[in-house]
Amino acid sequence: MNEESREITSEEERLALLNILEDVEEERRKAKEERDKTLAIIKNLTDGLLFFDKEERLSLINPQAERLLNVKEKEVVGKTMEELATFEPLKPFIKFLQENRKSLYKKEFQIGEDKFLEVSSVIVVSRGEKIGTLIILHDISREKIIERMKTEFVSISAHQLRTPLSAIKWILKMILDGDLGPLLKTQKEYLEKAYTSNERMINLINDLLNVSRIEEGRFLYRLEPADLRKIIEDILNTYKKEIQKKKLEVSFRKPRKFPSILLDKEKIGIAVQNLIENAIRYTPEKGKIILSLKKKNKEIEFFVKDTGIGIPKEQQARIFSKFFRAKNAVKMEPNGSGLGLFVTKKIIEAHGGKIWFESEEGKGTTFYFTLPLKLLK
Amino acid sequence: MEKRIVLVEDEEIIADLLERKLSEEGYKVFVAKNGEEGLAKIKEIKPDLILLDIVMPKMGGFEVMEELKRDEKLKEIPIIVISNSGQPVELNKAKELGAKDWLIKTEFDPKEVLEKVKKQIGN
Repeated sequence: MNEESREITSEEERLALLNILEDVEEERRKAKEERDKTLAIIKNLTDGLLFFDKEERLSLINPQAERLLNVKEKEVVGKTMEELATFEPLKPFIKFLQENRKSLYKKEFQIGEDKFLEVSSVIVVSRGEKIGTLIILHDISREKIIERMKTEFVSISAHQLRTPLSAIKWILKMILDGDLGPLLKTQKEYLEKAYTSNERMINLINDLLNVSRIEEGRFLYRLEPADLRKIIEDILNTYKKEIQKKKLEVSFRKPRKFPSILLDKEKIGIAVQNLIENAIRYTPEKGKIILSLKKKNKEIEFFVKDTGIGIPKEQQARIFSKFFRAKNAVKMEPNGSGLGLFVTKKIIEAHGGKIWFESEEGKGTTFYFTLPLKLLK
Repeated sequence: MEKRIVLVEDEEIIADLLERKLSEEGYKVFVAKNGEEGLAKIKEIKPDLILLDIVMPKMGGFEVMEELKRDEKLKEIPIIVISNSGQPVELNKAKELGAKDWLIKTEFDPKEVLEKVKKQIGN
């Protein structure tokens, strides 16, 4: 029995072995086919790809990446990140990768006069083990150029609009001041309205200019030590009339001692003003507004809390977007550029701070921002 | 003797309004429509004060200031810059070049300009 079964086994083994060999061959062929297919896909991707293995050696670069980085495959493949860091044409790019080692997602990198890349990196894991890092290069030159043209357009047209608006402002002001003779009461009333409308237009243009300056990346200008308490108080004071008119109860909680912080006074002023103005604007009569400023560990926190109309939940995600205004806000106050919070966010972030809010429709909104104290030198 | 001001401004309405306002206050105002004309007037009149626009045809305000800086006699004349853009870059450059004061057209009105003028050279 034993012998017989052994014989059958050995015959079966032989067949099985042959089968396996055949399967392996088939698998190898399939694997090669797969590999060729994958390579073809990688080579024909519209995005540039670079693959660094776990020893940080560049093991793959596709033609798009060669073109975007202006290098040849044979010059770079097989070299380590360290070696590439000294390879002249790639120096700035490798430096950029090394600086962003921790996380890299859709980060802009300018590689030439009019050449911009959006770079992302992905850690490639296979069977629970890191096998390398994939760098993805997306060419955004066209978008950047269009964006720049758009920004320039806004900037130029806004500048052009300022000149006639100044002229209107000055003329109205002189007439209102009685420089050109006495006015009738109704004439004065209407001219005052014209003056206010013109001021609104000037503000709108200023907002547009601020946006284009942000987009041109030349917004933060001069950092100097400043007392944020005073900035907030001064701005609050300019709203006395509106506050009285709407019978709002406004309080400002501030510490008696507060450090000077390095900031761009004018820009932080714009941010604070936008938040205070929104609170006043979108809080119905007899509402309450609380401003608070305090020092927390390594940062300062400021908030403006109101009992206003709130931001509808489904629109909260877009509240910091350019030109966006919540539906209930438009209903309450048709005039507004939808730029205030966008600009505010950029200002706070340019200072290394954070901005966020809590809001419930019909109950009120609180906008918070923090600024890091490490700015203090 | 009445104080003399050279006003260099290409925007006709602004120039007109300022001339009027300043004349009413007893200043003698000389208007120039661009930097080149302005520079010539300044050299000729040697005024007590210069009101200077920045962006102008032919010669801009900054160039006028640079020219004046090179002249021993003229560089002492106080300058108030009238800026259209109000951009910090522009204002800072004006300060660097020695402007005594500045104002932004959309943020000021003729009355405030007058106050600034008075502050520099009195009535």
